[in-house]
Amino acid sequence: MKTSRKRKVSALRIGTVWLILLLALIVLSLVAVNVGSAGYSISQILSALFSPEKSTVKVVVVNLRLPRLILALLIGASLSASGAILQSVMRNPLADPGTIGVSAGAGTAATTILLLFPHMTNAVPVFAFGGAALACFLIYTMAWKGGVDPTRIILSGVAINSVLGAYNSLLQMLHSDSLEGVLAFMNGSLSGRSWSQVRILSVYAGIGLILAFLCIKGANTLQLGDEMAKSLGVNVSVTRVLLSAVSAFLAASTVSVAGMIGFVGLVVPHISRLLVGSDYKEMLPTSMLMGAVVLLAADTVGRTIVPGMEIPVGIVMSVTGGPFFLYMLRKRGRVYGN
Amino acid sequence: MEIKGEHLQIGYGDVQVVSDMDIHIHPGKITSIIGPNGSGKSTVLKALTRLLPYQGGVVTLDGKSLREYSAKEIARRVGVLPQIHSAPPDFLVKDLVGYGRVPYQKWYEKNNEEDEKIVNWAMQCTGVWKLKDKSIHECSGGESQRVWIATVLTQQPEILFLDEPTTYLDIAHQLEMMQLVRKLNRENKIGVVMVLHDLSQAMEVSDWIVVIRDGKKYDEGTPEEVITPRMMREVYDVSCDIVHVPGREKPLIAYKEIG
Repeated sequence: MKTSRKRKVSALRIGTVWLILLLALIVLSLVAVNVGSAGYSISQILSALFSPEKSTVKVVVVNLRLPRLILALLIGASLSASGAILQSVMRNPLADPGTIGVSAGAGTAATTILLLFPHMTNAVPVFAFGGAALACFLIYTMAWKGGVDPTRIILSGVAINSVLGAYNSLLQMLHSDSLEGVLAFMNGSLSGRSWSQVRILSVYAGIGLILAFLCIKGANTLQLGDEMAKSLGVNVSVTRVLLSAVSAFLAASTVSVAGMIGFVGLVVPHISRLLVGSDYKEMLPTSMLMGAVVLLAADTVGRTIVPGMEIPVGIVMSVTGGPFFLYMLRKRGRVYGN
Repeated sequence: MEIKGEHLQIGYGDVQVVSDMDIHIHPGKITSIIGPNGSGKSTVLKALTRLLPYQGGVVTLDGKSLREYSAKEIARRVGVLPQIHSAPPDFLVKDLVGYGRVPYQKWYEKNNEEDEKIVNWAMQCTGVWKLKDKSIHECSGGESQRVWIATVLTQQPEILFLDEPTTYLDIAHQLEMMQLVRKLNRENKIGVVMVLHDLSQAMEVSDWIVVIRDGKKYDEGTPEEVITPRMMREVYDVSCDIVHVPGREKPLIAYKEIG
């Protein structure tokens, strides 16, 4: 009796977590279309949406707030899924898309275009995606030695990230008068994004998120340790590379549309793990949902907290995510006792 | 199944740990590999189970080279419990044991009813049935070791490789582990190969003992043939007597007093 009750409680807990996240998602979405530099009431918005005439309300909501909302949800879900998968690949809770060079690669490509070839600014997303993929490929090539093991990936990641970082800094020093675009990219912003970005990202994120679900069993077996996974007949290196590719694809897609948004991919999977456990069957969907909620919240706060000014979502994420994360860690530490 | 290693050369990178070793694992028996720290015991065990690629020589399963089998084919016939294994502490025992069915599945398949039956059988066999709804975190050291054995047993192997299965366990759980090993061998007809440090335990449960020193096979044979004062001196640099105690079938090792 005792044991069966235990299982039910955990299923109940997962259900509760999902329900709360879903409610938060709905409430936040309503708030996000509602607030902004121009405040409209819900009834104003609804009547404008359903009336055939063009109105300012309709333009603001449909052309500005709605695409931004959808982007925030897609990016949050993608980055969190990316981080969650990577944590199992590395068997390391500190792994995030930055570890495998996605941020540095995209940053290098974007900085190069923005500073050296400013006439190609429109192509930044394409190059950022390419740069991210290239840096990731480079790191895995360097780390490959009859297979890939997490320590080598992390170390060659550190090396490549540092070289790319140095190049970026140098470039920025040499062009210190025209850094506006670079800064916006580095701090990840959703400012001024429209339906055209939604169309692109929904395709990429859609593919990426479906691929992420296919990673569940692989991610779980990697959690048993390399030798155990191997002795179960799993090709550990191939699994690692495939899962990393999915993770990189997800992160690179978001970077190309919104620039670099840190911390989501690190913190959200962690909190999900604390709430629903380490089984990716539950942990991955929880991460996606929570990532969407968290990023939407951060973006909404960022564009409304200081009137007349936008704080990039990446900055809001880092400022609020860090302390909250610490709080979670300390709280859970007490519950488990050791 | 019969496993043979011939002229094995095994190492990590440029460091050769084992050179030119022949080893023969007899089907259905309990074989223990013993030897001092760093002698290459675990290395041999890993090479025989393809956890570590061997650089020279050949390992054959039933006469066919290990490299001609697919990873899953081997995993369906050979179970290995590595020395280092870890699962997220919140995994439930029954879920962890369920991963033993991975070698029988495609990458997207889940455990079906038939798989669940085997999982339940393995948990009953190893005495962890009562723990099935607990998390790994809630199990003691001895319990979690049996849970891992159950996981490997779920692969339905013909032979089981255990790398130091009793290290980190207290004496009661060590003996319990040895009982389990003997039971699996006698009742379920599963061959067992294990790396052991406790020579008295090796002597008591093994049908065959292989002694390794400095990456080479020093001797092999039945426990009585192999575990002798001379071997102890030459391999471990330890003085001892082998004493027969009335009422015990197997002799004990009496080490020289530390003084």
